[in-house]
Amino acid sequence: MRNIIAIAKKELTVYLTTPWAWIVFTVVSFVSSLFFIAYLIQFKDAHEQIRTMDGGWEQIGPDAQYLRNLTDGVVMPLFSTMLVVLLFVVPFLSARIFAEERRQKTLELLMTAPLTSFEIVLGKYLGGLCIVIATISTTLVYPVLLTAFGSSFSATTAEKTMTLEWPVVLLGFLALVLWGAAIHSIGTFISSLTESVIIAGLVTLCVSLVWLVIKLAAPNAAGILRDVLDYVSFEYQLRNLLRGVLDLQPLVFFASLILVFLLATHRAVESRRWV
Amino acid sequence: MAMIEVEGLTKKYRDRVAIDALSFKVAEGKIVGFLGPNGAGKSTTMKILTGFMPATEGKARVAGFDVFEKPIEAKRQIGYLPETPPLYPELTVRGFLQFVAEIKGVPRGQVKSEIDRVAKGTGVTSELDRLNSALSKGYRQRVGIAQALIGNPKLLILDEPTEGLDPRQRNEVLQLIKGLAGQHTVVLSTHILAEVKTICEQVLIIHRGKIVADETMAAITGGRENGLEEKFIQLTAN
Repeated sequence: MRNIIAIAKKELTVYLTTPWAWIVFTVVSFVSSLFFIAYLIQFKDAHEQIRTMDGGWEQIGPDAQYLRNLTDGVVMPLFSTMLVVLLFVVPFLSARIFAEERRQKTLELLMTAPLTSFEIVLGKYLGGLCIVIATISTTLVYPVLLTAFGSSFSATTAEKTMTLEWPVVLLGFLALVLWGAAIHSIGTFISSLTESVIIAGLVTLCVSLVWLVIKLAAPNAAGILRDVLDYVSFEYQLRNLLRGVLDLQPLVFFASLILVFLLATHRAVESRRWV
Repeated sequence: MAMIEVEGLTKKYRDRVAIDALSFKVAEGKIVGFLGPNGAGKSTTMKILTGFMPATEGKARVAGFDVFEKPIEAKRQIGYLPETPPLYPELTVRGFLQFVAEIKGVPRGQVKSEIDRVAKGTGVTSELDRLNSALSKGYRQRVGIAQALIGNPKLLILDEPTEGLDPRQRNEVLQLIKGLAGQHTVVLSTHILAEVKTICEQVLIIHRGKIVADETMAAITGGRENGLEEKFIQLTAN
């Protein structure tokens, strides 16, 4: 256990002393702030429009009902968008995890220290995961802002819709973490196969993009193919968590996925000993 | 007790034989020079002994532990300086040595004193708070040796520790290694014979994957000034 923590700690130090993590934090904050503002304006416009209508929300179709409260109208759409943003940035966080060690010949130090391959893989994965979670956490600033200032809306609208439902927000956050952890495990595996950080990053990005394609293709497929595509698409897996329903299925789905890729990474690291 | 016992060690890369049925022993406390032309199989042998890669055939034991069957125990006995010092450029020397101490299982309370000890021994105390990436080549090599010394392992395996250093640094590193005699068994590889003459007691010459000489320094030079060079050129002629 101490070995795993030591490796994870080293990974964190390396991430935070190089520009990588900071660039990712900045990009993610920037992009998410744009979407946050867009969703907030959409929300505000909807409410202003409703106020001028007779009958209010009862007149609106079920498709727009999610705009009724802040949690479903602003935070959850933002989190859904963040899923796609993560798909683009996590590959760049995970890319260096093994490839850089190979390039700098520091892997030799780890492999000749009294460590098991399992400890090396897990330590590195967890170190990177902390950075992935930190990246995702930057988006928590928006729910915090809404909690602090959202109540100023409530003078004009029904009290209840303007207070944020934190349990729902945290489940959405859990969905983001599961998703980020899954991409990170794939990236860790791909990084263990090459010496080049660029190649590791781009290949991981390609693999994640396949996932995006699945999400887009699923509604157009038919029959059993549609069921399968639907099932593996991240949106389907995470839909309940993003609605604020604690669902075990995505936990099992993503935990298995992470496990499979960590085992594959372990095999890849071991096999390098046997070349 | 023999610190290293190697029997019939063979390593093949696909169809190329890197080392061919090597057998040798190194007694505890000795400083051994591991010589050979470039590409003779020195680094391969060292990588197998340190458990970085496995052999195709044969056995290797370090301090009685088989490096294939008990890799963790064997690795605990070894401090290893690879050809390229494995320094993380993003860490400070102190941070790096602390990381090495942690993964080598130095008890928590002793980490600090251990870092001070190896830093003093290798003369890098003044550099402890600099980044690895800012070090000169000589200091990189010293930090590499300091890293190998952490945890006070019984066996030190140094792969070309003086490579790329200027004559002054080279001399300093050699003196440093010489100072380790007695407390550690040291195996150092090099293709610079003059270095071996000054510090080694036993010489192993490897050529095209085979051991061609395994003798004490006195026996191999035969008392002549250029004995080692003559012997080396003669043995590695074809």
